[in-house]
Amino acid sequence: MVVVAQRAPWSRRAKEIRRHTLIYVGLTPYLVIAVFPILWMLITALKQEPDLYRMDVVPFWFHLPPTLKNFEFLFQRTFYGDWLVNTLSISLFVSAITLLTAVPAGYALARLRLPFAENLGIAIFMTYLVPAIILFIPLSRVVSELGLQDTWWSLVVVYPTFTIPFCTWLLMGFFKTVPFEIEEAAMIDGCGQFGALLRVVLPVSWPGVITSVIFSFTLSMQDFLYSLAFVSISEQKPVPLGVATELIRGDVYFWGSLMAGALLVGVPVAIVYNLFLDKFITGITGAAIK
Amino acid sequence: MGHLASGGGRSPGASLSVPVGGRAKALPWWRTPSVRRYLFGYTLLAPAVLYVGVLVGAPFLFSLYLALSDASVGAPVARFVGLENFTSALETGVFWTAVRNTLVFTVGAAVMKGFLGTTLAFLLVQPFKGRRVVRGLVVIPFTIPIAISVLGWKWMFDSQFSVLNWALSGLGLIGEYGTPDWPVWLGQPMLALASVMFVNVWRSFPFSAIVLLAGMTSVSPEIIDAAKVDGATFMQRFRKIIVPMIAPILFVGAAFDTVFTLSDLSIVYLLTNGGPDGATEILPTLAYNTGIRGGALGRGAAISLFLFPLLLPAMVLLLRTLRRRQY
Repeated sequence: MVVVAQRAPWSRRAKEIRRHTLIYVGLTPYLVIAVFPILWMLITALKQEPDLYRMDVVPFWFHLPPTLKNFEFLFQRTFYGDWLVNTLSISLFVSAITLLTAVPAGYALARLRLPFAENLGIAIFMTYLVPAIILFIPLSRVVSELGLQDTWWSLVVVYPTFTIPFCTWLLMGFFKTVPFEIEEAAMIDGCGQFGALLRVVLPVSWPGVITSVIFSFTLSMQDFLYSLAFVSISEQKPVPLGVATELIRGDVYFWGSLMAGALLVGVPVAIVYNLFLDKFITGITGAAIK
Repeated sequence: MGHLASGGGRSPGASLSVPVGGRAKALPWWRTPSVRRYLFGYTLLAPAVLYVGVLVGAPFLFSLYLALSDASVGAPVARFVGLENFTSALETGVFWTAVRNTLVFTVGAAVMKGFLGTTLAFLLVQPFKGRRVVRGLVVIPFTIPIAISVLGWKWMFDSQFSVLNWALSGLGLIGEYGTPDWPVWLGQPMLALASVMFVNVWRSFPFSAIVLLAGMTSVSPEIIDAAKVDGATFMQRFRKIIVPMIAPILFVGAAFDTVFTLSDLSIVYLLTNGGPDGATEILPTLAYNTGIRGGALGRGAAISLFLFPLLLPAMVLLLRTLRRRQY
């Protein structure tokens, strides 16, 4: 008995190490598949042009000193600056529209015991699933009727079609967790129902509001089809479209600056999205977990 | 769920203004508390419902109308042509190629990401050091905007300077550049289809894994322990407890992914634009090229509507899962 008791900690550690090793070995292929393309983009973005087109040396590292020339090229020779401003402006307006509509809607659905609230909530959420590929042709008519063809304003109008359903659903979940008591207390203190929403419920639901802003931004960044269909003037494009369509001359791809332009926006978006990924998953599956 | 405090479904409006005796009669109907609450509620809902109704509902109906007309970018007045757009689409070979490719693409990719996602989830559900970091890295493909990562793949699939080919050739798995054994990923029909599928799998397998992981962690250990005490074997626990408990979440995840995969244009459009020779043509690219590039709005709308029957099962499944949740 004594012997066993003394040996136990050591063998447990050995077992732990063995277990960790197995897990790390198992995870390696997934990590390589997931991360290598991004690393490769980064290396490409920092390479000098001649260094990209050599087949005789290991391509994974630099044979000429790394350079920032590809990034300079973006800002000096292309509309990249405009695309950045467009992307940020679009996100700003889309977030504003989304908040102004989704906050009241989420609140009403979660709080006011309206008849058909549950079904209405599901109906709004389902519109999130009506894909762009079915809507882009009729919406192209809408956009041209509004006179917004070939401006980034067309995207400001169109992106809320998927951010509003998603954020309404998300905020509904947030509002459900706010205790009724604090709202009642505010109303006893003389707030109307609207005042209670504005002064008490919203301040304690700010994580939900911030999450909605983040998703207005990240979901807008995932779009490609709408921008491709509605905006064809170079200066009006958002970053993903601009990078994908403007850094090619005929058959020639400017790989270095393509990768630079892609990463400059892609990486920050990926990081922000990453931090809020759990909220996204809960948002769409929360419905399925009791 | 179901804390007693909120489970009663009280609302502040209702509990504060309980009409007492004769005073209730004195109020006209539109000022009764519940009517006022409804009015307030529907006013708050109106902007969102209107926005979505005008820009999703109406366009959807409008696309049905367009599909039945000969509308084009140039002609402002459209003529009603009945089902001509649908029937003429059915008569072209490229349409059937697109349908076949869409199905192969969606089903094939689903199988692959199902496999990768499940195995990854089983690894990630274990407790180990650095789990958060690994998770953060492994979900990058899903979080980076798709049009942006596809450009990286386009470079990796380059016909000559493909880093993949460099590695494979170094390992002796493929031949030298210029020989028939040097794969041109986006230039050979079968390889091109496999490549676009793989990029879709690459983007979505982390999503499958994370959804599955969320499901697995939602099964409380107490239930598993209780089953163990009752003598359930591993397979019994898996089949009778874990699977039924995570099934709803899996359905939702699968439905989302199917909708995304079926409707995504960017991967194929940016990598091959349907080529070589229609080998990767899918319904979204065909609809885009017909409707916007070719300017035949009616034809394009009809083609994109052919996606609807494919999307419908996913949406019905989701709807049923969402509705079953209600108490």
